[in-house]
Amino acid sequence: MVVGVVLITMVGFSTYGYLFSAPTKPADANPEFMGQAQEFSYLVTDDLAFWVNKVVELTGEVSEVTDDGILINGTIYCQFDDKTILKTITKNQRLTIKGKMVGFDELLMEIKLSQCIIP
Amino acid sequence: MALRIIFIVFALLSLPANGQKYFTRSGITEFEASEKAFEPIEAINESTTAIMDLSSGVIVSQVFMAGFQFKNALMQEHFNENYMESNQYPKATFKGKLDNFSLDDLKSNEPIPLSGMLTIKGVEKKIQTTVSITQDQSGLSLTGMFAVNPEDFNIKIPVIVQEKIADMVHINLNYQLVEQK
Repeated sequence: MVVGVVLITMVGFSTYGYLFSAPTKPADANPEFMGQAQEFSYLVTDDLAFWVNKVVELTGEVSEVTDDGILINGTIYCQFDDKTILKTITKNQRLTIKGKMVGFDELLMEIKLSQCIIP
Repeated sequence: MALRIIFIVFALLSLPANGQKYFTRSGITEFEASEKAFEPIEAINESTTAIMDLSSGVIVSQVFMAGFQFKNALMQEHFNENYMESNQYPKATFKGKLDNFSLDDLKSNEPIPLSGMLTIKGVEKKIQTTVSITQDQSGLSLTGMFAVNPEDFNIKIPVIVQEKIADMVHINLNYQLVEQK
């Protein structure tokens, strides 16, 4: 009887957790790629569809710091949720960031990453 | 020769004024398709790219499906995999033009008519709406809303969840554009 109640409670909680959990933050996910930003650009050119929605960790040179993100190697735009961190980043600095690849922006010819953090 | 150089210099100087462009990489596009009494169906995308040409009133924008954030992981998964098939159709695009746009429109707070083609899942549809655009020190602020019918874009909603999802999906735009240098 007790076992039954415990089981039902467990199943209930896990189902609830599955149905109503928030999406995993890129910060907490294992990166699908870790390495040089330049190499990642080649990989994306090769197979864009594969990389969409994947979490990656990239190292490169900061070419621009904007209000809500940074441009790496002039071709990869990384958007940060925490904007305060941007104040600590300077142009031409080498930096490693982690974020979710959302797509290739054809209007600006940039790869776009969102929810970025500095790991 | 000197005259020619002067002419070229003037031509170059006048270029930026003619083709003055404003853009954003982090425009906010939200959608909402909730039915009353059911759980809210909404998501926000804060990485919309939008470019506006000030002289012609042409606006282009692009929104990545993978950039839509839901509160609920399962809903986000269904959105990408079942409804939008975002692997196959990673983005939606809009190409349009403000009707009879002039710079004076920025001063009045009147809504400006905007029409153009919206492409979702590879299906093009004409959209006619109004937006409001205001100018300040930092650039242009463009806001607006319109509604679309998912059926128009081959987005199939299974019968079992039909009553939980509104027939018309409301889309809100909020783009803070800065000058493109």
